[in-house]
Amino acid sequence: MSLASTSSASQSVQQNSLWWDAFRRFKRNKVGVISLFTILVYVLIAIGSATGLLYPHASQGEQYLPMSWQHPFGTDIFGRDILGRAVHGTSTAISIGLLASSLSLIIGVVLGALAGYFGKKVDAAVVWLYTVVDSVPYILLIPALTFVLGRGLINVFIAVGLTSWVTTARLVRGEFMKHKDRDYVLAAHAIGAGDGRKIFGHILPNVAHLAFVQFGLGFVAAIKIEVILSYLGLGVDPSQPSWGLMIDDAKNELARPFFGNLAAATLFMFGLILAFNLFNDALREALDPKMKNK
Amino acid sequence: MNIFEIWSGASKSAAAKATNKAFRPRGNTATFVQVLLAGAVAIAMAITGCTKKRFDANDNSLNIGIRANVKGLDPINANDMYSATVIAQIYEGLVEYNYLKRPFSVQPAMAEALPEISADGLTFTFKIKKGIKFHDNPAFPDGKGREVTAEDFVYSWKRLADPRNTSEGWWILDGKIKGLNEWATAVKAEKADYDTPVEGLKATDSHTLVVKLTGPYHQLMNVLTMPFAAAVPKEAVAKYGKEFLNNPVGSGPYMLKTDKDWVRNSKITLHKNPNYRPATYPTEGMPGDAEAGLLADAGKTLPFADKLVFTEIIEDQPRWQNGLKGNFDYFDIPKDNFDSTIKDGKLVPELQAKGIKLHIDPSLDVTYIGINMTDSLLGKNKALRQAMSMAFDRETQIKKFANGRGIPAQGPIPPGIAGYDEAYKNPHTQFDVEAAKAKLAEAGFPGGRSKDGKQLEFTYEGGSDSTARRQAEFFAQRMQDIGIKITINANSWPQLQEKIKSKKAQLFGIAWGADYPDAQNFFQLFYSKNAPPGPNDSVFTNAEFDKLYERSLKLKDSAERTALYHQMRDIVANETPWIFISHRTGYRLTHGWLNNFKWTEVGYDYPKYWRVDAQKRAEMGQKL
Repeated sequence: MSLASTSSASQSVQQNSLWWDAFRRFKRNKVGVISLFTILVYVLIAIGSATGLLYPHASQGEQYLPMSWQHPFGTDIFGRDILGRAVHGTSTAISIGLLASSLSLIIGVVLGALAGYFGKKVDAAVVWLYTVVDSVPYILLIPALTFVLGRGLINVFIAVGLTSWVTTARLVRGEFMKHKDRDYVLAAHAIGAGDGRKIFGHILPNVAHLAFVQFGLGFVAAIKIEVILSYLGLGVDPSQPSWGLMIDDAKNELARPFFGNLAAATLFMFGLILAFNLFNDALREALDPKMKNK
Repeated sequence: MNIFEIWSGASKSAAAKATNKAFRPRGNTATFVQVLLAGAVAIAMAITGCTKKRFDANDNSLNIGIRANVKGLDPINANDMYSATVIAQIYEGLVEYNYLKRPFSVQPAMAEALPEISADGLTFTFKIKKGIKFHDNPAFPDGKGREVTAEDFVYSWKRLADPRNTSEGWWILDGKIKGLNEWATAVKAEKADYDTPVEGLKATDSHTLVVKLTGPYHQLMNVLTMPFAAAVPKEAVAKYGKEFLNNPVGSGPYMLKTDKDWVRNSKITLHKNPNYRPATYPTEGMPGDAEAGLLADAGKTLPFADKLVFTEIIEDQPRWQNGLKGNFDYFDIPKDNFDSTIKDGKLVPELQAKGIKLHIDPSLDVTYIGINMTDSLLGKNKALRQAMSMAFDRETQIKKFANGRGIPAQGPIPPGIAGYDEAYKNPHTQFDVEAAKAKLAEAGFPGGRSKDGKQLEFTYEGGSDSTARRQAEFFAQRMQDIGIKITINANSWPQLQEKIKSKKAQLFGIAWGADYPDAQNFFQLFYSKNAPPGPNDSVFTNAEFDKLYERSLKLKDSAERTALYHQMRDIVANETPWIFISHRTGYRLTHGWLNNFKWTEVGYDYPKYWRVDAQKRAEMGQKL
């Protein structure tokens, strides 16, 4: 992620112009709009299944039914509709993505901001911390954390959140170092603004676009990690629907041969992750001030 | 097969149609994975210009796949089927089962003959064969194995009794040998050591062992076949200390040679013991054995295979694929492969054409979900346990996870063991959700909620493979039906056992296979004095049951004992310390090059009888 800094001059003249411009640019990007729409559909599916509007009861019938109009992906070993499982898996995926990337965003932005703004010992401490965290491969660190915390949805998002903030912290730290001596910050200082006000009131809004894009990337990563962990048996509780568990089921079912679980889980994942990646690209372009006059 | 096993239903059996089409990508049943695999192999072959034979025509090693991790190789802790399978190749005891005879009969192993028994049936005099050596090991002077003497058995059985070792096999001799329990108590109080004599366990000369019992013990000869009672050299225990379980030294047909022979959680390679006692293949079998070719090797020296390779593969499909490819000489059929492997009770022609043979043998086992009776809620509320048992759908469980290979269990005794009662129906194993709900209300939890509205919540400990997870899920669903919430924990096999042994597991899915064909082997699982580290893993305590059990021990197989067994069964059925699930039927496949395969439901010493025709394997292996 490389992002040019925003122009502080235009900021002070017209408060909302950056975001308005970004919105205007985003609107022109057809792929971006379509992917945003797709994400919204997924979110609606997630809300629908979480509130019980979609596939409210996992009715149990004949096991391993082939694809049909009634069961587009067939039924699983317990005779549950696989499409229903995939739909319920969406809410697991979306909630993990949302909560884990929010947690990592908060940790990353706060630590990055403090390190970049105060420098010296604070900076050294934060840099040391994220270097340590980053030096352990996440695929080892997250299972280690889930072993400590135990299984379950909440523990997975805590584990993912606690391990994926490094990139955000590093980027935010760099931006803060660049911004802290800019004129607008000095001006704020001159009129008596404290550290907190300068960090959160002045500098942060100018680097927030970066956090937004990081949030999107973290979202995708969190969904993928949840699937991997659940596949390995370290993720959500087995009674919780999850795409990773569906793929784990498929591992043995391919021998039957039965493809329903694999097809449904991968298609749902593919759609959401592709949409998110395209949306992130569009968002980054839209928020990039260098693109302002294009 | 003995002792605790994983109960994921697929365990002992079966396979799939997709797989026999592997490597023929045109076949419409070839799965995606197989196509990929075939592609990978094709590429590998193209690169290496592979004309090399897959199997060496001079290598007669036996390859066996096991479905759980081996926790260690100390015979006094051989209480799980997987560790015991390996341990029984390295260690030996005084007696063993005849390989071919049925019903199972005990024959001498390291003993010269079956023991002389005194008129009162309480004194057993064993003569030990002369010249049997322990494996060569640095633990001995000059690294040469020392001769096995009667003292080694005295030491080994004291070691089994030593409370500091928390042996999982102490139950086989607990309270049975005069003075041994007192010795154990004194050792705990640090008032005795291994030199302190025990009245009922004496070596009267270097090769004579005299055992005095406290009372009649009709299963003594049976338990002495188990690895728990094997001879262990004290030099090795002294040298390796806590690491002894990683450095086994015995007198069995196979041995570990170097550290590299055991790759943890992956592979154990055992080598033929060059100093193995003279042992020969049995010359007599049952009617039909000769026709089945089981007597072709009669009188030949054991063991046959130069090497035994145990490969630990937890997931079903890789184990199955390895079996089909000939990497294992015998293998089970996973549930997902069963329908395409077995048609009308027979092996499909494609597999028959490859020389694969099917063996169907009922297992002397019971699968169950154990309930921890020390749990403050579960242990005190009988109606709650009964309700959980009634809400469990055994028929569907067996259909889904074992392709119908098994029957619902009514109690602990499987068919084929004296005391099994075909007509008996356990009132608490009949699947009935409405009755279960009523029972739950009676237990004080209508709808699964206590008076203050809190939902019942328990933790279930199960295995970590996909099939075990789904079985856990199936149990959780059935409990959900009556309003009980189950949290599922996945454990590796050693972890699961550790949780059970330390009484930390609340509910756990496991199986018990007979150590010997006697109902006592199943009833001892409920005897209060066998609580963990003994095999009573539910910590079931019932004074009346204990009394009946102790009475039954004094009796030989008779109508009186059967009546006692039925009373004991009724107590267990009523108290429901276990949710009984099934008695399974084993479906096993062997390759055409494996000779002398006869399934031995009890005991683990079978590999020494199996012979691989290396030449045939090299030829047939090319076509797999």
